[in-house]
Amino acid sequence: MAVKTVRLAWRITRLNFRAQLEYRSEFLMMVAIGAVWQVSVIVFATVLLTRFSGMGGWDSSDVLLIPATRMLAHGLFVLFLGRMHGIGYFIQEGKIDVCLVRPMSVHLQVQLRIFPTNAIGDLTVAVGLMAGALSRSELDWTAGRTSYLIVAVLGGMFLEAALFTAVASAALRFPAADYWGRWLEELLGTFGSYPLNVLPKAVGGFLTYGLPLAFVAYFPAAVLTGHGDSTGVPYWLAAVSPLLGLLAYLGSRLLWRWSLGHYTGVNG
Amino acid sequence: MAILAAWRAARVTPLGELHTPPRMTAALLRLAVQVVLVASLWHGLYARTGTTAGLSRDQAVTYAVLAVLASRLRALDQYAGRDTVIQHMHFGTIVYWYLRPLSPQRYYALRALGEQLYGLAWAVAGYAVCLWTAVVTPPGSAAVAGVFALSLLLGQWILYYVMLAIDQLCFFTLRNSAAMLILVFAQNLLSGVYAPLWFFPDWFVTLSAFLPFQATLSVPLSLYVGRIPLSDAGPALLVQAVWVAVLALFTRLVWRLAARRVISQGG
Repeated sequence: MAVKTVRLAWRITRLNFRAQLEYRSEFLMMVAIGAVWQVSVIVFATVLLTRFSGMGGWDSSDVLLIPATRMLAHGLFVLFLGRMHGIGYFIQEGKIDVCLVRPMSVHLQVQLRIFPTNAIGDLTVAVGLMAGALSRSELDWTAGRTSYLIVAVLGGMFLEAALFTAVASAALRFPAADYWGRWLEELLGTFGSYPLNVLPKAVGGFLTYGLPLAFVAYFPAAVLTGHGDSTGVPYWLAAVSPLLGLLAYLGSRLLWRWSLGHYTGVNG
Repeated sequence: MAILAAWRAARVTPLGELHTPPRMTAALLRLAVQVVLVASLWHGLYARTGTTAGLSRDQAVTYAVLAVLASRLRALDQYAGRDTVIQHMHFGTIVYWYLRPLSPQRYYALRALGEQLYGLAWAVAGYAVCLWTAVVTPPGSAAVAGVFALSLLLGQWILYYVMLAIDQLCFFTLRNSAAMLILVFAQNLLSGVYAPLWFFPDWFVTLSAFLPFQATLSVPLSLYVGRIPLSDAGPALLVQAVWVAVLALFTRLVWRLAARRVISQGG
């Protein structure tokens, strides 16, 4: 059954990819937009690092590891789990009702509804930035540290997916909740890429416990670069960020299932 | 009578927003949090630095916060209103724009005017709160305030034409999603939303001087914080006015070309 589902998902993805190629210029521009969007983060970070002497006591090479981790996690999220973002119109137009009567998980159908062309651009820049950050890094990249970085990227992907799945669950009842998703994306892009200890404690606390953006890349990068004790949270909490990302994602999937069970649609 | 019709077209989007409390609440919270975060970030960055790139801490914080407030001017969820050009092109309903006793150009302009006035109400309210809480500094003098207001008006006018040009692209390519995203990126980067242009390398500042984006936001905000002195305001305002004229002519021409491509019910 699982093999059949994977095969079907692969076929749908191939068809979606071909459908995206129908509008060639739009396809190329979507690849470009993924790239330039991420370049904007690099530009901002570079300008700040050039004009100001370090950020929050971090060297520029250490700081670069934060946007690199976040971007790679974001690119993987866009590629594999990103269709939960912007699902409001899908729900508002009643398209999700059709998914309910098909013999496939609604979540999987939502993920397969379109091929994320912009992920190509996102991942290209993210891989480039990660390569740049690692080449500038003076850390000893042992097997343990490298493994932690890989796990951190995956954890960041799951955490981002968890946040957008929670918003999508809310959108099942309030389609306007989609608006929060775009705000979340903006916050992740702007404040998920810098050492948050540059911000006042209350604001840093909000981005840790209110909106857990700090767990996406800041805390894992702090642990990797030896800043784990100065993040404002216990070291162990910063260190288990990848695991928290996975747990948050599993929790969000339960929330999605519960919300879908209570979805009434237009006709009740 | 014409004014009444114009008022009815202009108020469509603001009324739609006012009847969607969750979006209003989200907009309020988003604006408040964004202002606090941006002000905190720039305060933190200046903690160990004095004047950088000719901008003091107060100037940089004021610039960054005003940029956030100005971004509210066109931050509406236009897609939710289902009256965007791309949606009409997709569903074939763009033809109705050409069947009304109101030209598409006029209708588009009135809708945009309503949206920008609605956004202005948010921005002004936010500015008043920021001024009251001393998050931003007031303009240096009444003359600076006047020149800033004029420059902001011209900047929004330019932004209107730039957005219009991207929407007009739909008449020729059917889709403009990617172009719109690239425009938003270019607008944010080259107008100084991400960071004041004064922080960027010289080549970048020179490049942006040849594009209309810096005239939409960087010029008015630089006038406000005093990075462009009043004595240099004349040339800056002139450049903005030239962009308004050039883009007005360009979009007028494109409206004509676009009208030839609209097909009603298959022919």
